[in-house]
Amino acid sequence: MADKPTELPEDRTGKRPRDLPPANADQPKSNLPGARSLKPHWTERLATFDRRWVFLAMAIAIVVPFFAPLNLPVKASPRVRALYYSVESLHEGDVVFLSMDFDPASTPELAPFFRAVALHLKRKGVKMVLASTWYAAPPLVERYIREMVDRPLIGPDDTDYKGPPDRAYKQNVDYVWLGFREGKEAVIAAMGNDLRATFDHRAADGTPLADIPMMEGIHQLKDFDLIITISAGFPGTKEYVQQVQSRYDLPIVAACTAVSTTDLTPYYDAGQLLGLVGGMGAVAEYESLIGKPGLGTQGADVLNFGHLVVILAIVFGNFIYFAGRRQRRKRGQ
Amino acid sequence: MLGMAVGLFAAAEFYIPAHEVRIIQEHLLQWGLILAAAAFVLGGVNILQVNYPKIRRREEDWGFKLVLLGGAAVMGLVGIRWHTIGEDPTNGTIAVVEHATESGALIRLDSTRADTLAKIDGKRPIDLGAPGHVTEVSVAPGHHTVKVYMNVAGYGDLAEEVDVPAGGVAAVHGDLALHWGPSGRVYTWIYDYIFAPCNATMFALLAFFIASAAFRAFRARNTESALLLGAAILVMLGAVPIGRAISDFFPQLSDWIVAVPNNAGRRAIIMGAALGAIATSLRVILGLERSHLGSD
Repeated sequence: MADKPTELPEDRTGKRPRDLPPANADQPKSNLPGARSLKPHWTERLATFDRRWVFLAMAIAIVVPFFAPLNLPVKASPRVRALYYSVESLHEGDVVFLSMDFDPASTPELAPFFRAVALHLKRKGVKMVLASTWYAAPPLVERYIREMVDRPLIGPDDTDYKGPPDRAYKQNVDYVWLGFREGKEAVIAAMGNDLRATFDHRAADGTPLADIPMMEGIHQLKDFDLIITISAGFPGTKEYVQQVQSRYDLPIVAACTAVSTTDLTPYYDAGQLLGLVGGMGAVAEYESLIGKPGLGTQGADVLNFGHLVVILAIVFGNFIYFAGRRQRRKRGQ
Repeated sequence: MLGMAVGLFAAAEFYIPAHEVRIIQEHLLQWGLILAAAAFVLGGVNILQVNYPKIRRREEDWGFKLVLLGGAAVMGLVGIRWHTIGEDPTNGTIAVVEHATESGALIRLDSTRADTLAKIDGKRPIDLGAPGHVTEVSVAPGHHTVKVYMNVAGYGDLAEEVDVPAGGVAAVHGDLALHWGPSGRVYTWIYDYIFAPCNATMFALLAFFIASAAFRAFRARNTESALLLGAAILVMLGAVPIGRAISDFFPQLSDWIVAVPNNAGRRAIIMGAALGAIATSLRVILGLERSHLGSD
C-alpha cells in the first residue's frame, strides 16, 4: 500500500488544531538577521484578495444609481436614430411584424425597448403582428401584451410626456399574437415563404387569420411595412438577415442585447438592417428620441456605474500585475 | 439519395423563381417544422433513458436528475389543455330582470374569484372586490357590452352583449374557469415564479463574474492583449452616457472601433464560416459526410 502524503490534520471548520505547531515552524523567523522575509509582497496579497470585495463593489454600483440617479444626458447614435426614423416613417394603418425572440434572462435589456417601440407604434396607429421562435418567450410576450399593448402606456400621471397619446389596442383588431413555432431558422424561412401556413392559419387564441381584417393581404413577411426583431441570441436577427432579408429584400430593424451588438453591426453597415438598438444604453437613446424616459434611461445609470467598476477592476488588476512583475524581477525570480 | 435530392432542391430553389417550386419548398419547410416538433418527443424519451437508470442506481447527483424528471413531468402535465376535455367550461351567467329598479337601468356584477375586473362598454376597468361582493353600476337603458375577466393570465373571461330595458337589472355573475395548457394559470405561475427568476438570476450573476474576471484575468501580458484591453475600455466608455459626459471623443472612438476594425474581423469570420458551411453542406448532400446518419 502506497504511503499517503503527510497532511496536516484539520478540524471540521478547516482550521488547524491549536496544539499543533504552525506550518512554517521549522523555517527561519523573518526577524532573524539574514533571513528572507516570509511575508508576501503587497502585490501578491492584493492579487489574491477575496473576490467577494469585487462582488460587493459591483452590487453597490448596481443598487446605488436606483436611489441616486445621475441622469446624465443621452445623445442618440446614428444606429439608434436610423431605427427611430424607420418607425417614424410608418403611417396609420401600416402593419409591422415583431419577432419576440428572448427569454426572462434578457428582459432587463429588451423589455424597455419593447415598451418604447410599442408606444411609438401605438401613438402612430400602426398595427402589429407578433410571433416568437423562442420556446421560453410566449408567457413573457403575453404578459407584455397585457401590460403594454392592451392598455395605454401614457396615463394621466405622465405629465412630463409631451408626445401624442397612445390608446389601448384590441386583439385581432389592432394586433395579432401568432404565438411560438419550433424549428428555429426553418420557421423564419417558412414565414418568409408563407406566414399563414407556418402558424396553421390561426392566431394564438385560435381565431382563423382569414377572419381578421388587419391580416388582409398579409401572407408572407414581405407583405409587412417593417419587421422589428427583438432578439437575445439564436435564432434571432442574424437568422432573419440570413434566411429572409436578402432573399425578399425586407426592411428590418433590430434590437438586441449589448453583447450581440458587435455581431450585428456588419449587417447594419451593409444596409441589411435599417436600424439597430444594442443594449440598455441604446434603449435609453431611443427613449430620449420618443420623449418618454423609461426603464432604459433608469438602467443607463446602472450601466454607468457597472461599467466603471469593470474598468477600475481591469486597471487595478493590471497595476497590481505590473507592480508584482517589477518586484519579482527585483528579487531575481 | 433522398437527402441528396432534397438538399440539391433546397439549394436550387433559390435560383428558380417559379410558383410551383415555391409550393414544393413550402411543403418541405412544413415537414421540417413537423420534424422539429417531433424532436421534442424524442428529446423527452432520451432524457428518460439517460436519467432514469442513474436514479435507479443512485449514482452521483441522482437527486438533481430526479428534480429534472419531476420538473419535466409536471410541465408536461400542466401543458395539456385539460379544461378543453369534455364539456366546454362556462365563465358565468348573465340574467336580465325587468321592472327591478325604479329609474334608469342597472348592471349588477359579482364574481366567485378575487382579483376580477369588469369592463362595461370598453370603459375603465371596475374592480369587483372580494368573492361574492356585489357591485352595481347605473347605465342608460339599452344595448351594452360587458366583459368580466381576471387581472392575471390563465382564466377564461365572460364577454357578452346585453340589452337592459328601462327599470331593468342585468345580473352578471362571473365564475371564470381556470385554464390549463401553455396559457393556463398553473403553467403561467410556474413560469413567472420559478422559471423566470431562476433564468434571470443565472444571467444577472454574469455581472459579478465579469467584474471578478476583469480583475483577475484581463492582463496586458503582450501587445495583442494590451490592444484588446484598450479597445474594451474605450468601447465600454463609449457605450454608456458617462463616456460622453467625460468627452465626446469616447463615443466617436467607440463607434469607429465597432464600425471599422470590428466589422472587418466579423466579416472575415462570417465569410469564412459561410464558406465552411457550404463545403460541409456539399459533403452532406453528396453523401461524402454521413456521420449524422450514424456511420463514420
